[in-house]
Amino acid sequence: MKYFEDVAVGDIMRFGRYEVTKEEIVEYARQFDPQPFHLDEEAAKASLFGGLIASGWHTGAMFIRMVVEHMTPVHATTGAMGFDDLKWIKPVRPGDVLSVESEIKEKVEGRRPDRGTVKIESRIENQRGEVVMSLVSLVIYLRR
Amino acid sequence: MKYWDDFKAGESIALGSHTITEAEILAFARKYDPQPFHTDPEAARRSIFGGLIASGWHTCAILMRLGVEANQREEAAATGSPGLDSCRWLKPVRPGDTLSGRTEVLETWPSRSKPIGFVRRRVEALNQHGEVVLAIVGITMYRRRPDGPGART
Repeated sequence: MKYFEDVAVGDIMRFGRYEVTKEEIVEYARQFDPQPFHLDEEAAKASLFGGLIASGWHTGAMFIRMVVEHMTPVHATTGAMGFDDLKWIKPVRPGDVLSVESEIKEKVEGRRPDRGTVKIESRIENQRGEVVMSLVSLVIYLRR
Repeated sequence: MKYWDDFKAGESIALGSHTITEAEILAFARKYDPQPFHTDPEAARRSIFGGLIASGWHTCAILMRLGVEANQREEAAATGSPGLDSCRWLKPVRPGDTLSGRTEVLETWPSRSKPIGFVRRRVEALNQHGEVVLAIVGITMYRRRPDGPGART
């Protein structure tokens, strides 16, 4: 288990594999982001995206799934305060396969003796190695 | 139709509201954020949160839904978002909480290359006690008024 003391600025982790399906894009969009370019292939073709794309918030949800599967079991985290500087860089389309590269950017001691905050920059990439989304998460780590 | 040209700094809009159920919290978390304090009411009781709480990404999704519905009511010509400056999960969201959205325009500027403009706004979700549980500062793109002034700044 990695505690606050065990992570170092510059550490890089690569993990996750998430296959994006049309069904899931549409299902997420129906529930949370019902805009035509997330819902309807024909309408999406006519939009400036030229085809169906995932809601940016859906990409965020797929990102957190990969984090919870691969990082949470081995890092002593207890949630996050939020994130900064989220960029939706490229569209995510049906058939894309996403993965994550995360880098420890900064450790913040804070006031509480039992925990600290770690700023982690994550880049979500597709199967061509293109970064589709990036963000800097503020993750709470327990101390040893 | 509401275009980029129609947004003014300082303008605020009340979004709709949504009451979140335990079933919704569990369904979202089991698919996207399967941590025990989001997926298991019993384990959540023993956690630092003292009970089941919604995934922060779920709360964001609900706020997105309220924003999309407001755009649709206003027939706003929204064309997506390049990103967010910040997002903070300020308070836990629990089953039965009723979340209401509100948004305030901070600034607007036009694209130099495309017939669209950008709107930076603060978007917040409040619970039924009036506490801000989620605060986002983000950017949305809107199409410009086709017959509007071309070089407006």
